[in-house]
Amino acid sequence: MTATLDSMTLVPQPQRVEERSRKRGGNIVPNVLAVIVFLISTFPVYWMVLTSFRRGVDIQRPTPQFVPSPGTLQNYRKVFNRDFFWTAVQNSLTVTLSVLALALLLAFLAAVAVSRFRFRGRKAFIIMILLVQMVPAEALIISLFRILDGWQLVNTILGLTLTYLAFVLPFTIWTLRGFVANVPKELEEASMMDGSTRLRAFMTITLPLVAPGLVATGVFAFIQAWNEFIFALVIMNKPDKQTLPVWLQAFNEGAKGTDWGGVMAGSTLMAIPVVIFFLLVQRRLASGLTAGAVKG
Amino acid sequence: MKSSLTMEQIEGIDVRRRRPRPLPYLLLLPALLALVLMLGFPLIRLVTLSLQDFGLKQQFGAPAEWVGLKNFREILSDDQFWQVLRRTIVFCAVNVMLTMVLGLAIAMLLNRLGKWMRLLTMTGLMLAWSMPALTATVIWQWIFDTQYGIANWLFGRQGQSWLSNPLTFYFVATIIVVWMGIPFVAFTLYAGLTQIPSETMEAASIDGATPWQRFLDIVVPSLKPILLILTSLSVLWDFRVFTQIYVLQSAGGINRDTNLLGVYAYRTSIGSSHFDRGAAIAIVMVLITVLLTLVYLRSMVRQEEL
Amino acid sequence: MKLKRIAASLAALTAVLAACGSDSKDSSAGTTGSAAPTTAASTTAASTPETAAPTTGGSGSGDSIRLWLNGGDTPDEFVNYAITEFNKIHPDVKVNFERQQWTGIVEKLTTALSSSDSPDVVELGNTQAQAFEAAGALQDLTAKKADLGGDDLLQSLVEAGTYDGKFYGLPYYAGARVIIYRKDLFEKSGIEIPTTIDEMLAAGEKLKADNAATPNFSGIYLPGKNWFAALPHIWLAGGDIATQENGKWVGKLSSDESVKGLTQLQEFITKTSGAPKDGDDSKDYLAFCNGEVGMMPAPGWKPGQITNKDDGCPDMEANIGVFAMPGDTAGTTAPAFLGGSNLAISAKSAHQDLAYDLLKILASPGYQKQFAAQGTIPALKSLLADVSGSEGAIAQAKAALNSRFVPSSENWAAVEASNILPDMVVAISGGADVKTEAAKADAAIEEILNG
Repeated sequence: MTATLDSMTLVPQPQRVEERSRKRGGNIVPNVLAVIVFLISTFPVYWMVLTSFRRGVDIQRPTPQFVPSPGTLQNYRKVFNRDFFWTAVQNSLTVTLSVLALALLLAFLAAVAVSRFRFRGRKAFIIMILLVQMVPAEALIISLFRILDGWQLVNTILGLTLTYLAFVLPFTIWTLRGFVANVPKELEEASMMDGSTRLRAFMTITLPLVAPGLVATGVFAFIQAWNEFIFALVIMNKPDKQTLPVWLQAFNEGAKGTDWGGVMAGSTLMAIPVVIFFLLVQRRLASGLTAGAVKG
Repeated sequence: MKSSLTMEQIEGIDVRRRRPRPLPYLLLLPALLALVLMLGFPLIRLVTLSLQDFGLKQQFGAPAEWVGLKNFREILSDDQFWQVLRRTIVFCAVNVMLTMVLGLAIAMLLNRLGKWMRLLTMTGLMLAWSMPALTATVIWQWIFDTQYGIANWLFGRQGQSWLSNPLTFYFVATIIVVWMGIPFVAFTLYAGLTQIPSETMEAASIDGATPWQRFLDIVVPSLKPILLILTSLSVLWDFRVFTQIYVLQSAGGINRDTNLLGVYAYRTSIGSSHFDRGAAIAIVMVLITVLLTLVYLRSMVRQEEL
Repeated sequence: MKLKRIAASLAALTAVLAACGSDSKDSSAGTTGSAAPTTAASTTAASTPETAAPTTGGSGSGDSIRLWLNGGDTPDEFVNYAITEFNKIHPDVKVNFERQQWTGIVEKLTTALSSSDSPDVVELGNTQAQAFEAAGALQDLTAKKADLGGDDLLQSLVEAGTYDGKFYGLPYYAGARVIIYRKDLFEKSGIEIPTTIDEMLAAGEKLKADNAATPNFSGIYLPGKNWFAALPHIWLAGGDIATQENGKWVGKLSSDESVKGLTQLQEFITKTSGAPKDGDDSKDYLAFCNGEVGMMPAPGWKPGQITNKDDGCPDMEANIGVFAMPGDTAGTTAPAFLGGSNLAISAKSAHQDLAYDLLKILASPGYQKQFAAQGTIPALKSLLADVSGSEGAIAQAKAALNSRFVPSSENWAAVEASNILPDMVVAISGGADVKTEAAKADAAIEEILNG
């Protein structure tokens, strides 16, 4: 990085660097590739949605049908009418959003601590969070349940949130570390030399530059918490405390066999909040310095 | 007086007297607290369980005997374990490579696209990412179903079983795992790519660097920290892969020939309430993972990086 | 800054949701907000009950007990009956009925039964019961056995519920495997219901030949992972999975008798089946609806699934018939696998007496009659004759009279978790040597059963 730092005013702009380049958008090849990627990514999703509009008996045919005919809304009706659906939605949303907020906050602080400071125990901490991620979570279920039971947190939102937090934090810290490290200290220093406090430097310089990392890990944390099954199954064993994935499992055992239509309808509905969340935050996935601002 | 301040001096650390500042510890404290409270006891338990005779009976109150390394010996002397381990390492290597290479390629593609095409592609990837592992595996399995699958219909090979031959079984499993893993890698790398100022790239091309050179000399070094982090994460995850294999196995093939470590661990321990073996296998898996990432770990410890 | 705004709104949303949600552990599990009436007829036991979940009629505060029943096997109406009866004796006690799923039930029971808020009455699959009995998770009911039904209780379920001579698991209900067949295809090919197993093989072959034009057609639908289909053949030939000799388990799959039975199965598969050799039975009803099946071994509730008006093919109903799998000579049946559940009281239950009273009601003729009327095999032998409704129910009852069970070992769950038997049958379906595969399976089973 060779930018001069004497009198920089760094103003991260929402406008994107790439849009100014003449190379963007025009080429055939990238666009064709993009379409291919889109198709491969979405084909299974399309099939899931397709199946959710099909009657059970039509789901498997020797000759595949690409359009549901006859279609049916029965599967969705089943999902909405089934006991505890909205309770499960509420539980899932509460837990997931809580995990999201806490994980990002705690992980960001920890990532900053670990990438910006030297202190005793720093390396040990980093190695520890790496090692923790190597342990298969299933091996810890019984012990974890015992702790929660001891604190009377079984069948509580708080209990499940703390559990997910413990599993999401290591990975989030690990990844954010890289993003924070990528933001050169000099930028903060320069801003502080201009008179702002350390905190302000963080808020106006580092945070926006780390935002893409926060978005990427935030979405990941969201998805982890939203789709997690086995811990929710064991910790929330009362039907009114279930989260969506556990609730959805009942369709696998409905009608004495798997109700595929119901499963797919439920899965489709479950995917919607995730996509909404992503659409809300995706612009922040790529915010960077604009060239003009750096030169000041 | 303040012409050449070092970071430490700005922070107030007096390097000579080395008084530890509380700030980093304070920042670290909440996360550390959460981790220790929730995972501390279970992890210690994991170690003690692996050295005990602990099954369902002990869970309900029977006293647990200390058996030293018996559980480890049983696991490591099982022929199946080594077969499974070999398969898992190969599977993991292939999957990580594919995920990272394709993920990087797609990230660069995203960087090149115009605003709307990029949004389209990202939405597609996002939809893929948002599918729960179980549902995604089921759908892919249907695509490769012996009698009703689209794959067979497309290739005109009705009745071809993809899951009964271990090699094609792993082929299908790889497609699923890589398909599910690419979005996160692509998005994260894309985020990293946007942090590279375009002037640097433009300056380089003006200087006559070819796209390949620009890639090697600018993109890769800038992305290096993130690339390493993502690769290490992918190794960790793909080594332990469970859901996809488990669901595929229930749909076809001979389980003994297609078990990978995650599923093998489950079947021989947790699934049959042998918590002692489950703990021992978990520890063995951690040790093996450490071995696999040893080179990376060592370079991390040595370098400023860490 | 947009990020801040998003963060703020997410935080607000979270706060609102958390405030709305009830975190109290005492929140009633028995009530539900949505009470859309079900459309399912009661003859299809298969439908998921959507009536308002049962709540207790008891008033006021007081004790409450938790009842866990699994899957969709017990309709809400049955539970309502039980709760009403219970409240006649204990008007102030609330029964919290919590319907659990079968998936992950072992993990759930392992954690919940050893927790500080253990459910009081739980349902266990008969293959899982032994492990929990051996572990001491359940209350010893030996002294009360006579009171709960004594000799009237279905024998093989009693076995599943007994460990080391002590009785823990009360039989709840059972289901036997039968053969579902296409009446119209039988007629077209001029076949009668087979009375011996050799006739069944011949019928399967004829059906396959006559329906060769239908792709994937099976005279008898036998996907490789359906190891239950192997059991009647093994047992009929005089073999078994494993038996205890001198306190140790010995695998019997490679015994001459079992090999004879497995070879017969291999013959059945090779000559009559068009099902995927490594497939499972989760899509068998779809194959049936697609017209690809002449006969298929299945649990008694399968016709209900096939004719389910939402997901099945109701117009097939007239063509579906059921018979109990025949044995070697006319008039006999092949030993059938009896699946079922047992009920138990948690050893850590804080309300042992209340739980016992509820248990007694669930085992009572008044309650069990509901199962019989629905076509499920009740836990009481005296009610077997009352199993009514469909042809399927009657076939089931007939099969139940000659029923067998898997080895009664606390480690059996581990054998199932390792999928040893499906692996063996898949290999055999693929044409592998029966004796070799059986020997492999024996070795693996012995290792697990003997710890």
